[in-house]
Amino acid sequence: MSLVSTALAYRELLANLVIRDLKSRYRGSALGLLWTVLTPLFMALIYIFFLRLLMGRGVRIRHEEIIIGVFAWQFTIQAIQSGMNCITGNANLVKKIYFPRIIIPLSVNLSALINYLLMLVVQLGLVAVILHTGGSHLSAGTFFVPLLIVYHFMFNLSLALLTAAANVYFRDTQHFVGLFISAWFFVSPVMYSLSLLDALTGDKAWLRELYMLNPLTLIITAYRALQIPGEVFPWSIGAVIGWCWPVVIFAGALIFYQRTQRYFADWL
Amino acid sequence: MQNAIEVRNLGKAYRALGVGVPTLYKTISRIIQRRPIERFWALRDVSFDIPRGATVGVIGPNGSGKSSLLGLIAGTVTPSHGAVKTEGRISSLLELGAGFHPELSGRENAILNASILGIPREDVIRRMDHIIEFAGLKDFIDMPVKHYSSGMYVRLGFAVAVEINPDILLVDEVLAVGDIAFQTKCLERVRDLQKKGKTLLLVSHALDTVEQFCDDALLILEGRLAERGPPRDVIFSYLKTYMLRIGKLHVEEYGTRQVTIDRIVVRNHRDEETIQFESGTAMHIEVHYRANQRIENPIFGFSIKSADGVHVFGSNTQIENYPIPAIERSGIVRIAVDPLTIKAGNFFLSFAIHSPDHKTQYHRLEDWLAFSVVDTTAREGLVHLNNQWQWNHERQD
Repeated sequence: MSLVSTALAYRELLANLVIRDLKSRYRGSALGLLWTVLTPLFMALIYIFFLRLLMGRGVRIRHEEIIIGVFAWQFTIQAIQSGMNCITGNANLVKKIYFPRIIIPLSVNLSALINYLLMLVVQLGLVAVILHTGGSHLSAGTFFVPLLIVYHFMFNLSLALLTAAANVYFRDTQHFVGLFISAWFFVSPVMYSLSLLDALTGDKAWLRELYMLNPLTLIITAYRALQIPGEVFPWSIGAVIGWCWPVVIFAGALIFYQRTQRYFADWL
Repeated sequence: MQNAIEVRNLGKAYRALGVGVPTLYKTISRIIQRRPIERFWALRDVSFDIPRGATVGVIGPNGSGKSSLLGLIAGTVTPSHGAVKTEGRISSLLELGAGFHPELSGRENAILNASILGIPREDVIRRMDHIIEFAGLKDFIDMPVKHYSSGMYVRLGFAVAVEINPDILLVDEVLAVGDIAFQTKCLERVRDLQKKGKTLLLVSHALDTVEQFCDDALLILEGRLAERGPPRDVIFSYLKTYMLRIGKLHVEEYGTRQVTIDRIVVRNHRDEETIQFESGTAMHIEVHYRANQRIENPIFGFSIKSADGVHVFGSNTQIENYPIPAIERSGIVRIAVDPLTIKAGNFFLSFAIHSPDHKTQYHRLEDWLAFSVVDTTAREGLVHLNNQWQWNHERQD
């Protein structure tokens, strides 16, 4: 596969770009790398606080679900936001020096991945503690989380490739993506669990299937199902299609990116 | 392949975008109104070969397509037409400090920059002391580059870049950075690469650098390869065409031709034939003439005009009281301008041979010869004036 062979051939550059990204991200801030974890942690705390306040006693909030949801959401958001601007933000590099252009979004996504792995250590710890206080512990499915991360990474990379290339040609992309993310947050089970959906969809099964087409719904739900004992992944036709179509998107994104990258220098 | 670079019918068209970056609205409205995409050819029908080991200068006015050409050869720009073939590892010094991150230290950025340029990590680490010394950044290398001066920034970029060991090196204007001392170091490094048999392509506005270093020069005008040849000739014709175009020059030749000026040789203070001079040094002009008949009391004159058309100086043998009683057959008239007090810029020499009453012009060459002057002092202006200073003050006792 050309992506893998390119990445291997340019592994040194790739590594250095990832190091640059990680080093520079929090340099100059007092808490440094701690922010990687603090951001999703505080987000989770805020959601939990307001959900309790707004929803009252009627809805059962599972803290571990919100924490898993927010951490996974952060991974995707980080990948898109840095991916979208990775070409336009490195205009001088793209215009002046030749190396395979795919290296740039790849490096940005790898650094988001490394960040997520760091976050995940804390997330697993937190969830384990919360479960422990409830007399339970992390499910054995946790061992399969790495497989899910590979899929999640592929999904993020496709989005980064598409938005990065689109943003070179149309700077409208960044505004559109900003809006899209706001809406996406609510149609993905980040701060709620799928059980809430049952109340909303009622007997309209097609609405539920439609909802399951969102790959992030599946990814977040799968993270929860793997880690929290007793949670079962709700398989359905919509879910199967939802798992499959990102693979098509990934192939399409690669082709789209490789076609458009030839003219990046003209547009920057 | 004997050639390091082969360029065939190369063309690059850009979309004429008007103002600003493309937006979805602009594109959609263009499609709806069925307006064709306007194209602007930055480079067209360019073909040339560069033999391995040659150093070739690329000159031309701003916006003529020089940078597009380098981008095409480097591979960052995709051609609209034609092809570029290169042999060997190619590296470009088109952007110094590419990818530097302001928050990272000089050392970290050096390693990153090197990997962008394709220098193996171990090579950079091994050569780090040398890089630091070359850039003159001993005390600052572990400081974030955001605190660097622009000179330090560029010096570090260059120091890393010259560690590249490519077969072909593309250089765009970067030799014009830093102070005189650093520039000298850079040029030494270019000489090193030449000695190692590397192929160099040098884009520069510093015409003296091109003349000094290059075996060959390419003149790019309005996206086309206008001329190729020995640097001196190409620079000369560049200056001439360029000045003509901006309307400051009227190259012409007229006269009765009873005497003709066959050749003019200009030498610097080291007795080298050149058209580049340093202010304050000597300029020696030889006018080789051929008289077709005996001419009594010929007057030889010359004048200097600046690139923007200002008449800087003019004189002749009559004014200077150097009578030449008569000429026959051929000979040489020498003019020593010592010191050359013009300071900096491009200038044109005119020559004339005429009768004492100016009525008969035997041969006149107007704006015939271009030369440029560089000034290494901080003094300003068009000409050097001797100035002495004195301070008188009242004593306070």
